[in-house]
Amino acid sequence: MVDVAVIGAGQTKYGNHHLGLKGMWAEAAENAFSSVDKDFDPRQVDEAFIGSVAFGGAQLGNTAALLTEHSGLDGIPVRRVENACASSGFALRDAWMAIKSGQADIVVAGGIEKMNDLSAERKRFWLGVSGDTEWERLAGLTFPGTYALMARRHFHEHQSSHDDLVHISVKNHMHGFENQHAHIRKQVSFEKAASGFMVADPLTLYDCCPTSDGASCVILAADHVVQRYTDDPVWIRASGAASDRLALHDRPSITQLVATQKASQIAYSAAGITSDDVDLAEVHDCFTVAELMATEDLGFAQQGKGGIFSREGRGILNQGSVCINPSGGLKSKGHPLGATGTGQAVEVFKQLRGTVEQSRQVRDAEIGLTHNVGGSGATCAVHIFGRDKNE
Amino acid sequence: MSETLLWKGYLIADNGESLFIQSPYMLNEKIVYGSDSDETTMAIAAIQFWKQTGRTLDSVHLPSSVDASTLFLATGVDSILRNDDLNFDDIKWNILSGEEATLVLASTDAQNFEFESPENVELIDEQFYNDICEAWDKECAESHVSQGAYVSKSQYLEGARARLSLSSQKLGDGLIWPPRQLDSSGQRIPTESHSLTGVASIESWTKLSAAGAPSEFSLRAPILGGVQTLLVRFEQGPRGVFLVCDDVDYSPQIGDVVEFSVRRIYGQEGIIRYGLKALPK
Repeated sequence: MVDVAVIGAGQTKYGNHHLGLKGMWAEAAENAFSSVDKDFDPRQVDEAFIGSVAFGGAQLGNTAALLTEHSGLDGIPVRRVENACASSGFALRDAWMAIKSGQADIVVAGGIEKMNDLSAERKRFWLGVSGDTEWERLAGLTFPGTYALMARRHFHEHQSSHDDLVHISVKNHMHGFENQHAHIRKQVSFEKAASGFMVADPLTLYDCCPTSDGASCVILAADHVVQRYTDDPVWIRASGAASDRLALHDRPSITQLVATQKASQIAYSAAGITSDDVDLAEVHDCFTVAELMATEDLGFAQQGKGGIFSREGRGILNQGSVCINPSGGLKSKGHPLGATGTGQAVEVFKQLRGTVEQSRQVRDAEIGLTHNVGGSGATCAVHIFGRDKNE
Repeated sequence: MSETLLWKGYLIADNGESLFIQSPYMLNEKIVYGSDSDETTMAIAAIQFWKQTGRTLDSVHLPSSVDASTLFLATGVDSILRNDDLNFDDIKWNILSGEEATLVLASTDAQNFEFESPENVELIDEQFYNDICEAWDKECAESHVSQGAYVSKSQYLEGARARLSLSSQKLGDGLIWPPRQLDSSGQRIPTESHSLTGVASIESWTKLSAAGAPSEFSLRAPILGGVQTLLVRFEQGPRGVFLVCDDVDYSPQIGDVVEFSVRRIYGQEGIIRYGLKALPK
């Protein structure tokens, strides 16, 4: 079967962006196009998949058609992919599958979200729309609350503590400080992160990612055309995805995300690797406890030992066997919902090619992983990237 | 004469022939409703008390301020307001509304309406009470519309019986709540037929700051100092998430046992959504 490579990737800076949807997408696409080593013409693209929640109700219908017409991708089949915060993780998977199936040679996968040009009241309406609206929202829950329930239960079952979450926050801010595309480029001390404003007990402001504007774009190519575009491709060695019950109360356990476990097992198996082989992982830390659970569910720590993993600093850049969130993660780099999944792929593409800021370059990076979660874990896409193809 | 009992967050006096129920809150020497109660929620509590003592009650005449559909879904008791086929002659029971936050449940031929004045009434802060009432007025206005997440009337009604009476579905040896449609073999799961006992233990909890609360609660959350949610497991296995009755600042512990009472959840586009809230046992 055909192998799939990333030949180009780009994004906007995340944060309070002055550009609108069309402008942000054009900037991300332009950065991706120009990152291709050899001549690239957008008219060579066969198909495009763009992830977006359409936060705030902006361009809910035909989002992809609008955006692609502003990025030189006229006339090709396009569609918006929506799977909450995992929208573009699934757009990436769809693009990968389009090439794998033999239907396309060059495919664009991207994502976009504009979250900060809304009135406070409209923003409040849109936060938490991806949970179980009927049962969780009517019980007063938005995602800070949902993840707070998970955190408290994890503390209870596994003797983890809020200090373990603080270590994650401090690490991700340290990594993101070096990232010119990050939303919050600010280091925080342990003491400050431990004493933040309580958002959803036990989670404080320093446990929560910001709401960001941003767009990201990656260009995928089939193995038989890759050399036309680059001699330095990054291969997508596997794509795994899964789903789970939408509401927390319908799951057997709330201290692990089954969709992450399933998606990663599929991906590891297809790539012929284990978690021990991964050099860097961009994991979905919408809240610090989400990263703690992800380290367990992805196999970097044993179940229930994510707190120890964090406490011992095993995810810090070039200190442990795997670097967790060298970009700063959602916590520091930011979380423009629909753009996050392909934004993670942009980071891994650059890390594996050695083109990020040298101060945050993962040494000898050969294999990278992206982990993109929708909502509180109802959907998950895991991708494994490598300098080499699968054997 | 009769002793006063605390029942589902209300004070009840039962003389055997009729039942007096009132809110436990007082302001300026008047009995007033708490932050999430009204005549509907208190009428439901009165009927539930009556039925749990083994006495039957099939239909009742209600004051117009009581939401008859919600009362029926929560208790199974019909009313002429809800059912065109019922006529006054069939009605053996009345719920009578007082001027303050009080109700009487009595048979149509009841003679005895004497009750002890309840003790343990709690004074409510005047500013808090006025702010909450004003917030509810705004929230229940038809102009108060949703801009994002939205539970439609049909979706709400689809789950209302389970929401209000803890009615669950039986599948194999287990019970399912909240209701589901098809099982993993593609077969339709039978409709709700078994009620959960209404006793559960806390597995986790959180308190959201007012800023982090869903927009449906945005008018009241700042007054209440946030929104508290409990994740609980019922004795029969299913789990659920619930707000806390009267929006009290309760300090839960994992393992605490709670029971439930029907209360107001939120209002939107002229409709009040009712549901169960947890009450420390």
